[in-house]
Amino acid sequence: MIARLASLGGAPLLIANGEIDHESCGAVEKLFEEAVLQGSPILFLDLSEVTYIDSGGLSVLFSAGRRVRDAGWIGLVAPNDSVRRLLELVGALADPAFRLFADRTEAERALTEGDTA
Amino acid sequence: MATAHHECEWALCVDSASAKLAEVRRFVEKVAAEVALDLERAFDLKVAVSEACANAVEHAGCESAPLEISARLHSRRLTFVVTDNGLFRPPGCGRVGFGSRGLGLPLMVTLMDEVTFARTPNGGTSVSLSVLLDREATPLLD
Repeated sequence: MIARLASLGGAPLLIANGEIDHESCGAVEKLFEEAVLQGSPILFLDLSEVTYIDSGGLSVLFSAGRRVRDAGWIGLVAPNDSVRRLLELVGALADPAFRLFADRTEAERALTEGDTA
Repeated sequence: MATAHHECEWALCVDSASAKLAEVRRFVEKVAAEVALDLERAFDLKVAVSEACANAVEHAGCESAPLEISARLHSRRLTFVVTDNGLFRPPGCGRVGFGSRGLGLPLMVTLMDEVTFARTPNGGTSVSLSVLLDREATPLLD
């Protein structure tokens, strides 16, 4: 798993690649930490190249969600069908701390709408 | 190809101290491909078996203990069994990232058609994870 921090429309964008499991989720957790410290109420996680995620990775997501939920949300961008299904099964997609986007264009559009509720 | 496998068995043995969950998942993928399991169900199995192994690795702490993963196809039912030696060690020197898996058990139960936990005769723990080949994966809610 490779993960790096970029930006999308001025908000932090985490880009992960490969399998996010118990052994690799620490890298994503560190990046979320860095991203939160940038002070943006909105964070994005590009999942388009993520082929697998387990409870370790999902826990990292929920813990990042708790950090931003009072003022913002985490945009989950382009998960594949299997990853999306897991996100749905664990309740992430029903949680206002998360929003799902089909691609980065759609994600960026949500920023310009100024809707951070 | 699947019809050639009425009954089959596979096995993988790893060490809890050095096991890579990715290696376990490659094993699940191999078995799933051999029985022509659809990709969604194969993904479910990967998650469930990987979570069961993560549990066993966490419980073994820093101890080196054998972890056996076997798979069996029987009567259109594919069952993975993860067996450890039942060791419980404090997590003090446990491996990084194995500390927050409250979702592991519910995921196993949700994704599989059947999950059973048992004590083995020599005091180990075995987790049995089954999918019925003729049943589809847990559907999306929408």
